[in-house]
Amino acid sequence: MIEVTGLTRTYGGFTAVDDVTFTCEPGRVTGFLGPNGAGKSTTMRVMVGLTPPTRGRVTIGGHLYRDLPNPGRHVGVLLDAGAQHAGRTGREILTLGARSMMLPRSRVDEMLHTVSLTDDEAGRRVRDYSLGMKQRLGIAHALLGDPEVLVLDEPANGLDPAGIRWMRDLLKGYARRGGTVLLSSHLLNEVELVADEMILIGRGRIVAQGDKQSLLAGAHHGEATTIVSALDPTALATALRACGLDPTPEGNGFKVAATTAEVGRAALEHLVVLTELRNGAAGLEDLFLELTSDTQRETAGAAA
Amino acid sequence: MTTTDDHQTSAPTGAGQLPRTIDVTDDQRVPFARLVAVETRKSFDTRAGRWLTISIVGLVLVVVGVGVFAFPDDAQDYVSLLGVTGGVLGYFLPILMIMLVTSEWSQRTGLNTFTLEPRRTRVIGAKITAGLGLAVVVLALGAAIAAVGVLLSPANGGEAVWNLGYNEVQNFSLSSLIGVLVGFALAMLLRSSPVAIVVYFVYTFILPGVVAALGALVDGFDKVAPWIEFNTAQTPLFTGDYRATGEEWAQIAVTGLIWLVVPFVLGLWRLVRAEVK
Ligand SMILES: Nc1ncnc2c1ncn2[C@@H]1O[C@H](COP(=O)(O)OP(=O)(O)O)[C@@H](O)[C@H]1O
Ligand SMILES: [Mg+2]
Repeated sequence: MIEVTGLTRTYGGFTAVDDVTFTCEPGRVTGFLGPNGAGKSTTMRVMVGLTPPTRGRVTIGGHLYRDLPNPGRHVGVLLDAGAQHAGRTGREILTLGARSMMLPRSRVDEMLHTVSLTDDEAGRRVRDYSLGMKQRLGIAHALLGDPEVLVLDEPANGLDPAGIRWMRDLLKGYARRGGTVLLSSHLLNEVELVADEMILIGRGRIVAQGDKQSLLAGAHHGEATTIVSALDPTALATALRACGLDPTPEGNGFKVAATTAEVGRAALEHLVVLTELRNGAAGLEDLFLELTSDTQRETAGAAA
Repeated sequence: MTTTDDHQTSAPTGAGQLPRTIDVTDDQRVPFARLVAVETRKSFDTRAGRWLTISIVGLVLVVVGVGVFAFPDDAQDYVSLLGVTGGVLGYFLPILMIMLVTSEWSQRTGLNTFTLEPRRTRVIGAKITAGLGLAVVVLALGAAIAAVGVLLSPANGGEAVWNLGYNEVQNFSLSSLIGVLVGFALAMLLRSSPVAIVVYFVYTFILPGVVAALGALVDGFDKVAPWIEFNTAQTPLFTGDYRATGEEWAQIAVTGLIWLVVPFVLGLWRLVRAEVK
């Protein structure tokens, strides 16, 4: 379990991470989502002792990272897949890791197998790796010590769609076996399908957190929105007004502040033929953009 | 399986039964010897790293070869050949040492290194040990090459002269190792391979020349120089009778404080606090 408490990191007068508090639970994948420059990497570097915090603290499984005697055995870390000596082979990088953690060398082959890097690829120098191969190698490195906790910074960057699905399955399986996963991304759709819990960060501040349902519920304050269009738009507008609803034109139909059921019933009662009827509530994407777009709304989002 | 399903199935376990703390009571730190072994390995596991060491040894072969076939007969004794070997190694061994530190930044491997061992002073200790070990092996190899040179020296007339004493050995090693440590201190302080190497060469090539020139130009400067310039202070170690007097040792100590101890402590202090990214 990762516990971040009141974490702040400033650079000169600039606050990169601003009083951030959140928890990553075991058995769950926590998505750490925010636009570029939001402070995700800085937060993750503080977690593993690479960046000293200005204020606040992070514990992993109840310990400060630097107090773990052999941290690689408990916390798997991938901060930047490109941060490898370009002249080393993939196998050599894993071998250095295995030796640094007192692991048997057989672990290197196991991990190469897990991330589907072939012997041939493992023998190539990292200089000649594609970004996707580097990410696989980085994940292999993070998994080497069979850790309980994974901290991955933008691991899906550069992976092809098949690679992204592979990683999703890997992380889900890992969490299901009781592991704690923190995974960051600036792309919602990378995180949405895998994360049980999401932390949204913008300009160094947490703007919202929770599972998908509670995030969406919080964003719309329980208000339903429906998008509807009909063969005869005028008849539809009349029908809706007759049922006490207030349609506003949108596209070639209307947007109505009501549930799809209410709108459907109104159409049925007045025998209007619908061509489209769907939930018009903003998705996570809109919520994400809205929450992280400006500071004013960030405060509102955090309160929700 | 959708996110929702996952959430609902994992929530009870997540909240209830899974341990929220990590038990480290049975954990052992990685032994220091292992850290040293890993750091040593890093010097050789890239082509660039291997070739740096091979080139340094190759250079010793060349200068000893030149010595054996081109030096006057009376300069082909063991002490002379060891002297040129020591000269070459004094300049180039520190580069090996510098790379051990700076590559963690230039290649950004520090991200791995310092996450796997967050106690940075242990990593630094392992690097110094690995670097000194490497330096000692290369010095021994250099001494062996010089010895082969002496064996070959009668080829163009004269005799093989074995005139090595304890002082020469001590000082040959000492001045090289001092150079290696100065390189290490600069590397920690500057954390960039080209900058650290250039500064080391200014320190070792240019500074003594400047000091000598000032000594010729400014009255009395030659008295002050050995107290402020490390190379000048070390001169008694590898010239004349290879023996330093009490005063000369004092000069080595004072300049060593200025050029080695202070940069080293400052470099270590900076490195331990630095942000690794
Ligand atoms: N060493 C530094 N000096 C000054 N600003 C920094 C430094 N490191 C990070 N920042 C700034 O902190 C902010 C957060 O960066 P980062 O944590 O990398 O964001 P993210 O990973 O979410 O994209 C950015 O605006 C970045 O420019
Ligand atoms: Mg980042």
